[in-house]
Amino acid sequence: MRILIVEDDPVLADGLTRSLRQSEFAVDCARDGEEADLILTAQNYDLVILDLGLPKLDGFDVLKRLRRRAAAVPVLVLTARDALSDRVKGLDLGADDYLTKPFDLPELEARVRALIRRGQSGGSSFLTHGPLVLDTSGRRATLHGAPLELSARELGVLEVLLLRSGRVVSKEQLAEQLYGWDEEVGPNAIEVYVHRLRKKIEAAGVAIRTIRGLGYLLEKNT
Amino acid sequence: MTAILEERPAEAERGTLRYQLLTSLLAPIVFLTLISAVVTYYYAFNFATLAYDYSLFDSALDISRQTRLRDGRVQVDLPSAALDMLESDTHDNVFYMVNDAKGEFVAGHRGLPLPTEETLPGKPVYYDGTYRGFPIRLAALATKVRDPAEAGVLVLVGETLNKRRTLANEVLLGMLLPEFLLITLIGVLVWFGIERGLRPLATLQSEIGSRSHRDLSPLSEQNAPGEVRALIRAMNELLARLSFALSAQQRFIADAAHQLRTPLAGIKTQAELALRQQKIDDVQHTLTQLNTATSQTTHLINQLLSLARAEPDAGRAQAMQKLDLDELARETTKEWVPQALTREIDLGFDGVAGAVIEADALFLREMLGNLLDNAILYAQAGCRVTVRVAVDAACVRLSVEDNGPGIPPDERERVFERFHRVLGSGAEGCGLGLAIVREIAEGHGAEVKLTAGANGAGTLVTVTFPRAA
Repeated sequence: MRILIVEDDPVLADGLTRSLRQSEFAVDCARDGEEADLILTAQNYDLVILDLGLPKLDGFDVLKRLRRRAAAVPVLVLTARDALSDRVKGLDLGADDYLTKPFDLPELEARVRALIRRGQSGGSSFLTHGPLVLDTSGRRATLHGAPLELSARELGVLEVLLLRSGRVVSKEQLAEQLYGWDEEVGPNAIEVYVHRLRKKIEAAGVAIRTIRGLGYLLEKNT
Repeated sequence: MTAILEERPAEAERGTLRYQLLTSLLAPIVFLTLISAVVTYYYAFNFATLAYDYSLFDSALDISRQTRLRDGRVQVDLPSAALDMLESDTHDNVFYMVNDAKGEFVAGHRGLPLPTEETLPGKPVYYDGTYRGFPIRLAALATKVRDPAEAGVLVLVGETLNKRRTLANEVLLGMLLPEFLLITLIGVLVWFGIERGLRPLATLQSEIGSRSHRDLSPLSEQNAPGEVRALIRAMNELLARLSFALSAQQRFIADAAHQLRTPLAGIKTQAELALRQQKIDDVQHTLTQLNTATSQTTHLINQLLSLARAEPDAGRAQAMQKLDLDELARETTKEWVPQALTREIDLGFDGVAGAVIEADALFLREMLGNLLDNAILYAQAGCRVTVRVAVDAACVRLSVEDNGPGIPPDERERVFERFHRVLGSGAEGCGLGLAIVREIAEGHGAEVKLTAGANGAGTLVTVTFPRAA
């Protein structure tokens, strides 16, 4: 996997390059916007990490030119500018993700992995969480390899929780995902499904936590 | 002292006070003068007409005295001297005509226009007419022949209008000339009057222009006329506000530099130490410290920026809009749950519908974020933190309550001060969180209160907003 880092600060560039190389990526570095633009016309990459405040050619312009060439390479924008307008502009111009400096290295690495995965298969159809594996296209789940008996609704709830693993999902969000517009949703229906789901997966150490007043959360494994 | 106002292009000249005052004064005067000229001419001409009409009557009377009845026919004996006099008017041409009672021509210039009005005997009738293409004024006199005084006769005398016009023109000129002189005099006086009157503005201009950008001291009101004084006062108020904002900014920069020095010193020291260390375990330990210090400095810088932006003089205009505080608080709290969980804190929400306020969403999220950051930081593992939104008739209340160690009563006001950290708590915060909360609350017209939580334990921070319609 090849990654291009476009960053003019030498210390940061060095840190990023070395850490990504440790994760077995092939890493190239560009020091200004013009160099980046040139390299991107000549070489293909699996991911571009792009700083916005660049000499010679602004980060936004590099991005614009890249997208104009119909290049679909994922771009992670790194910047010191944290205004909402810059964020929106970046995403509108074709960036895939946005991280403000300074950032936590593990967070950067996680996002890099996610973007490369996205770029590769266009989204996996298998969601994994410890011993639990959910096949979203086949509508099947297994626990420790053994098939898990789940109703369609229970599967739906599990899928949403897995997609947003580690984050809170409200009952309304769950209901939205499970029911059509004209279906009547009883107020306790979601609670029932979560309760049943818990009974089936709790023993294997997959925990669904209730967050007071907000909804549910699939706890990340440590 | 000459006016300092520089040369202006024609267009800008039109916008000046001087031009406006001049035009607003002179334009009506000129207009009125023109009207009065027209009226004067009209009256002058009428009076001239009246004056010269009488002499026409005189001539008609003279001619009528020369009429005789001979052989049944009316005859006029005009001595040649009289005729000469009639026809020797140097200004106008004079015409006369005598008709008998039956209307038959007797003597004079044929074809003089007859009066349209009825002529009473002995009373002259004056009227206008045309003769040989010339406009003329006529007098018609119906009277009896002199000798014998039985037959009737009509005498007409007419003349061109030159004398009358000349008289009218002379009257007009005599009236207009002084008026134009007056207008010119007014114009000149106004010009210089304005020049003098605007001099204080020129003085003000040079005083302001000669100041350095750093000099924000008030301008002097002395010797300034009343209207200019009001302007000076307004300027001084603006200068005071600028001065305040400037010193706030300078204070902030000084604070920031001061606060950053210590953590940066820590970072440098740890780095230098790591360079010296040999054992990998020691280096690891040092680098961990270094990482922590860097995170803290980052946090400090971000908080300083937040505070600067939240200050009212910061220049960032708040984008106030009607929003549902319950919805915003709910979303924000959801985002903080993962972080709370890593510290084993039970974060929950308790909201209500209809919590509509006028607020800037970005600032509100910032504010709630700081409250949650505080609660999570200072509470311990196993504690509960609850975000609540409540509504009553007049206000909407946002509160964050925790059942952690709480804040001692004598510190409850001090925690809002910048860089204040509660002693004995973990050294992780930078002491700006509540200062930021207060600034944002004040910017929204809201009140912040810090009290103990339920059962006197823990901490409860309540922000009370006025309810939007």
